[in-house]
Amino acid sequence: MIADDAGLTAAIRDVFESVDPMPAGLPERIQFAIALRDLDAELARFASESDEAAIAVRGMEESRTITFDSDSLTIMIRIDGNADGTVRVDGWLAPAQAGRVEMRRVDNSIAVTADEAGRFAFLSVPRGTARLIVGLLGEGNNGRPNGEKSVITPALILLAAE
Amino acid sequence: MIMVDNGVTVPGRVSEDDRRARIAGLVSAARDGHPEAVSELVSELTPVLWQVARATGLGQSDAEDVIQTVWMSLLSHLEGIHTPAALTAWLVITTRREAWRVKKADRKQSPADQEWLIAIPDPRPGSEESVIMAEEYRQLWAAFLTLPQRCQELLRIVAFVPRPDYDEVAATLHMPRGSVGPTRGRCLDKLRTALGPEEGIR
Repeated sequence: MIADDAGLTAAIRDVFESVDPMPAGLPERIQFAIALRDLDAELARFASESDEAAIAVRGMEESRTITFDSDSLTIMIRIDGNADGTVRVDGWLAPAQAGRVEMRRVDNSIAVTADEAGRFAFLSVPRGTARLIVGLLGEGNNGRPNGEKSVITPALILLAAE
Repeated sequence: MIMVDNGVTVPGRVSEDDRRARIAGLVSAARDGHPEAVSELVSELTPVLWQVARATGLGQSDAEDVIQTVWMSLLSHLEGIHTPAALTAWLVITTRREAWRVKKADRKQSPADQEWLIAIPDPRPGSEESVIMAEEYRQLWAAFLTLPQRCQELLRIVAFVPRPDYDEVAATLHMPRGSVGPTRGRCLDKLRTALGPEEGIR
């Protein structure tokens, strides 16, 4: 039985959705890129390959430490799993300095303050992809980095414990 | 990790009128500079653009780069775009043009990146019905691969463009080089011929 045009077209769509689906994280990566487009930020890099390998961070099984380097700042974070499936992120800025640290996600962002020793903590972060954006405190309105260079990390994938 | 494909475009399965009204609102909000509207459009239309970019034979990571470039460049072209159809047309055509440009610039495509060309969907375990369906898809897939490349590209794009936007996309899709390009109708006829009289998909 020969299908009509609409039926055949729908079947072609189903086949391609099955054999060559869009990578699941693609819209999210594009949304990040758009959100960060106007930000005059210095991009931090993974300090080493093992830091990069730890990009998909699983909580709970063990805590992990990741270091990011940029020209003006080093950001070290430790990720631990919370019992409720969220993750805790503790971080240090070097050289030590107060600042505003934002964890930016696709649909929201959480900001905390780093103390003068450069320490900051996100106590309970839902799983998902996130980047950290660090700006010096008081450089812009409401502590938001504005005009001054801020530093942004690559995307981290925070996975909850199994 | 978070998956953001709740808003995947599935033409025909949701009310087209609702969808169009929603997209029209998003287009207008995006023009007014609301970033959430742009994000929603990205969720909604990136699955279509993936198929458009991959239909040129572009590798996965190149396809991702192309699509990101296209969205970035849309942001400076929003002024001239006022309807959902115009948005779809602009995105599809720009993606296709950029994908071909990148593909021609980099002819050293790794063959492994084209694995979908020979991949055949496995029947999902479960009901008898899904096995029969998978068999039909196998036949369709095999027939599809016998089509000329340009028909494959055209039909793949058409399959993902929302119905009401199709005319506007088609107006510029038919290979502007002067030669007679493939048309949807002729390509579908070829596909039916390849499927054979008894093997068609219901």
